[in-house]
Amino acid sequence: MSPSSSRNPLDLVDRYLQAVRFWLPKTRRQEDLLAELGEDLRSQIEDKESELGHALGKDEISEILKRCGAPMVVASRLGPRRHLIGPTLFPVYEFVLKMVLLWILVPVFIFIVGPATLASTNGDWGKTALVTLGNLWSGSFVAAGIITLVFGILERTHAIADINCKWDPSSLPPLQKPERRTSFVQTICELAFNVFGLVWLLLVPNHPFLILGPAAAFLKFGPFWYTFYVPVVLLTVAVIVRLAVALARSQWTAFPLWSQLLQTAVSLILVHYMIQAAGYTVHGEWHPFVTIADDVRSSEQFVRFTKIAAIVNVALMISLVCTWVGLCIGGAVQVWELLKHIRKQGTVSQQPASVQLR
Amino acid sequence: MSNGSQATTEVFENLKLELRRGCLTLAVLTQLRSERYGYTLRKALADDGLEIDEGTLYPLLRRLESQGLLVSQWREEDKRNKRFYRLSPMGEQILEQLLGEWQRINTSLSKILQEA
Repeated sequence: MSPSSSRNPLDLVDRYLQAVRFWLPKTRRQEDLLAELGEDLRSQIEDKESELGHALGKDEISEILKRCGAPMVVASRLGPRRHLIGPTLFPVYEFVLKMVLLWILVPVFIFIVGPATLASTNGDWGKTALVTLGNLWSGSFVAAGIITLVFGILERTHAIADINCKWDPSSLPPLQKPERRTSFVQTICELAFNVFGLVWLLLVPNHPFLILGPAAAFLKFGPFWYTFYVPVVLLTVAVIVRLAVALARSQWTAFPLWSQLLQTAVSLILVHYMIQAAGYTVHGEWHPFVTIADDVRSSEQFVRFTKIAAIVNVALMISLVCTWVGLCIGGAVQVWELLKHIRKQGTVSQQPASVQLR
Repeated sequence: MSNGSQATTEVFENLKLELRRGCLTLAVLTQLRSERYGYTLRKALADDGLEIDEGTLYPLLRRLESQGLLVSQWREEDKRNKRFYRLSPMGEQILEQLLGEWQRINTSLSKILQEA
């Protein structure tokens, strides 16, 4: 649905508050101010409705919002005082500065300038890091200076003085969807998958065919499996408990984040020890995961079986290393998600109902 | 608008803003001798001829609260959460002193204007 065709005229108030919030610093104080602004606007609408004797339409609500002022201007009044660049322009200045420094300069230096410098220094990582960081620092300094200068000129020349007169409430962006809770279907699927995995793991010691397939006829598990079997089973049980809790308490929005991070950390430690343990050789032979079954050692095909065992061991070792890398990346993403959640909770924990978008 | 008249308007607006700032603080503190929430406070001030926009009132209330002159509380009324403000004991003391000062300035100014 387009913003202008929204059926509920009160949507406009929520969209307006959302637009004001965009220009405000993300602090608890600002959320509180925004809540009061929302309450004030709703009281104005209520008053007008009792005066006119009917519910206000979109145009009448637009009039109230227009009288209140353009979101950026209102945010500048509600926000902290600025000196060098005035309160009206400061939110835009801050936005442009962040965009240029964090989302343009830093990626350009990491993905373009850095590799180019690495090539020019013949692969000297230390020198590359120093040169790139030095260039990034001076580049940021120059970019910030130019942006500040441009905004300083705009401020002095009143270039956007009429911003408050030209804005139209119906052009406000539509409401963003509320933060997604952990998907029910996704959790159910994960739970089913892990229960199936646990059953499979419990059956494997007595039915090696389940993991080795036809090779179970001539291969057997190496010493590695007996060391790590119990920790892997326990970890799977812990994952099942975690998913069950997440399913039963879907309102605990932080639980899936930190419990998954904890799970990743434990898995990472386990995989790390697995890789370390798999590196050892016994009597000069390297067969950590699978080895030749005792009853085929005297077989004519012993050499062929040994080759197959070696291939399986290498493939499993590569899988473990890939899992370790994947867990590291996943862990970093989960830390980022958790920090984002904590920050968001920090800003809205004392947010009263009046600012919530219905 | 010519540059000269634009400059005059700007100077006037700045001076008006300065003049209003102190008066608004006094008016807000006086109105908050009895408990009110933001909108009713703004309405009461407007009814008495002192219009104040949302972007000015709410930061002012926060500032007065952080100075210890006001106390506030979020409470539900008519199924909506509202933040109610009232003067703190310290605010009451300061308001009395400010009103005394205001009376003195007003008397002096009236005298000066009569003499001019």
